[in-house]
Amino acid sequence: MTTENQTPADKMPAAGQAPGLLQRMKESHVWHSFTRDRVAQLSLTIFMGYVLMALFAPAIAPFDPYDATQIDIMNSELPPSWDEEMGDPQFWLGTDAQGRDLWSTILYGTRISLTIGICAVLLQATIGIIIGLIAGYRGGRVDSILMRFADVQLSFSTMMVAIVVLAVFQASFGTELYQDLAMIMLVLVIGIAEWPQYARTIRASVLAEKKKEYVDAARVMGLGQMRIMFRHILPNTLSPILVISTVQVANAIISEASLSFLGLGMPVSQPSLGSLISSGFEYIFSGAWWITVIPGIVLVVLILVMNLLGDWLRDVLNPKLYKG
Amino acid sequence: MPLLEVKNLEVSFGLRSGDVKALRNISFTLDRGERLGLVGESGAGKSVLGFSILNLIAKPGRISGGQILFEGKDLADLSAEELRNVRGNRISMIFQDPMMTLNPVLTIGQQMIECLQAHRKISKDNARTIAIQKLQQVQIPSPETRIDQYPHELSGGMRQRVVIAIGLLMDPDIIIADEPTTALDVTIQAEIMELMVELCERNNVALILITHDLGVVSQVTQKAIVMYAGRIIEQGPTREIINDAQHPYTQGLMNALPQMAIPGQRLNQIRGSMPGLQKIPTGCAFNPRCDYLRDACTRELPGYTQSGNCKVACHMVAELKQAEQVSEDI
Repeated sequence: MTTENQTPADKMPAAGQAPGLLQRMKESHVWHSFTRDRVAQLSLTIFMGYVLMALFAPAIAPFDPYDATQIDIMNSELPPSWDEEMGDPQFWLGTDAQGRDLWSTILYGTRISLTIGICAVLLQATIGIIIGLIAGYRGGRVDSILMRFADVQLSFSTMMVAIVVLAVFQASFGTELYQDLAMIMLVLVIGIAEWPQYARTIRASVLAEKKKEYVDAARVMGLGQMRIMFRHILPNTLSPILVISTVQVANAIISEASLSFLGLGMPVSQPSLGSLISSGFEYIFSGAWWITVIPGIVLVVLILVMNLLGDWLRDVLNPKLYKG
Repeated sequence: MPLLEVKNLEVSFGLRSGDVKALRNISFTLDRGERLGLVGESGAGKSVLGFSILNLIAKPGRISGGQILFEGKDLADLSAEELRNVRGNRISMIFQDPMMTLNPVLTIGQQMIECLQAHRKISKDNARTIAIQKLQQVQIPSPETRIDQYPHELSGGMRQRVVIAIGLLMDPDIIIADEPTTALDVTIQAEIMELMVELCERNNVALILITHDLGVVSQVTQKAIVMYAGRIIEQGPTREIINDAQHPYTQGLMNALPQMAIPGQRLNQIRGSMPGLQKIPTGCAFNPRCDYLRDACTRELPGYTQSGNCKVACHMVAELKQAEQVSEDI
């Protein structure tokens, strides 16, 4: 029945000592499955690599792409250093059209892309979880109203909402202010546009959970509605939340990249992976393929790895697929 | 004043096809420390009655008539806040399946401490001490360790002990136990029942035991109520009902006990099955299955007749009583 912490009898801790958190984790089904799944291991390693790159970008990067004094326009469009004719050993992956070191820019870009992706998903999850929980638990009219909201929201595509909002914002408040607030705006727009995904998933799980006896038991104990919803039902719906979160972070990063590609995302002075791809796109026919292709590969690998992790997690957390 | 008094309680479920009455004209009293057995087939309304005492009937059900007086106050008049204070604190409930009753993702300690903190202003450490104490009372070995375990790490009997400990946590006045031993195996059933009775006696807690096991009722309770199709058909002291059942349905239940069967012969049974709530026949609801069927049974609902210390809803018993009266007069 339970998917986690399946402890075989011989590993049961002796009575008298409570197993520590680490011990519990080592005996859990999730860990067990992880040690056997090569794809999951590789994906997690690569993903952690990305996270480390993003976290320590300022320390790793040889140049600061935001510092205009370090940029020399004479270095523009240099190919990667393995190109012996034109390459400059200073710039491992070459430079972009403005003469920025591509490797440093990618590091900073990954940082921005991941930050936007994760923050947007946090926002989506917060809105979606609250609305989904209330809709599922209260039911009736509250449920109908909230879910119709979600349907309306879903009937606008994310891209359309984002383009309209960002374009209007840019037009009415000027590019200057927009560049300062681009990151916050992207998080808000992507976060608000996609909350129904969470709300629907959670509502469905809550509908199943609230019929279980432990909810009755909690009500009999005299616990309040809020406490029952957030402390008793919510933890029981965590596995679908985890699974869609991995997919949603990937989706948010893609949305951000697409918007940036369309010129509505991060400004060129603070490029995310998407805006890097976009800025290099203009030069692809002049032979400077690396400005577009290398960030493109970085983005594709990031998304692929996250989706693979999501798939693995979905299988692990699905009790129907549990094979001991 | 009795601790709990239910007066003419009526519970209806609003369905698309109209209101269906799940409980009709239910009246009984419960004193402090008294143990009451609630017997009947599945669907007779036992559990609905249990839930309605806590005012916790799920929609589309509602209390459509009558009163539930707890210490003289009608539970229907209480505010949500006051009601929450009664639930768990003064009246607690124990369910059938201990696996389902405990939240699988919280340790038993977390669940107990939470319940304590919901009702009392108390620090986590104090709450933990009380929780361990209660676990000790229900005879759980090494409660200091068990308190940090998750429900799936305990055996079925152990889980039901934890559920009982949670029920006792706030030192309630009434415990409603809805088939507390059905999900357990027979040896553990007896242990758990014994434990519950002992704890109720020691703490002077009243117990409402919902079950279809007449054996348990006869061993544990002082008063019994037999329900059929949402109505009380017989109530009185357990001993009288067990030894001298008046209503044909109760007699049928007694005869259906395996102990009553003659070896080598088929077990006795009551023919037919209980009608759905929407198809209750006019007159006495039991009439299609009754061996003593007479005209009055299909025409009018039998009222309650006093027989000894029992109250019985049956035309036949009423007639017999009248006949007795007449013969005495002569």
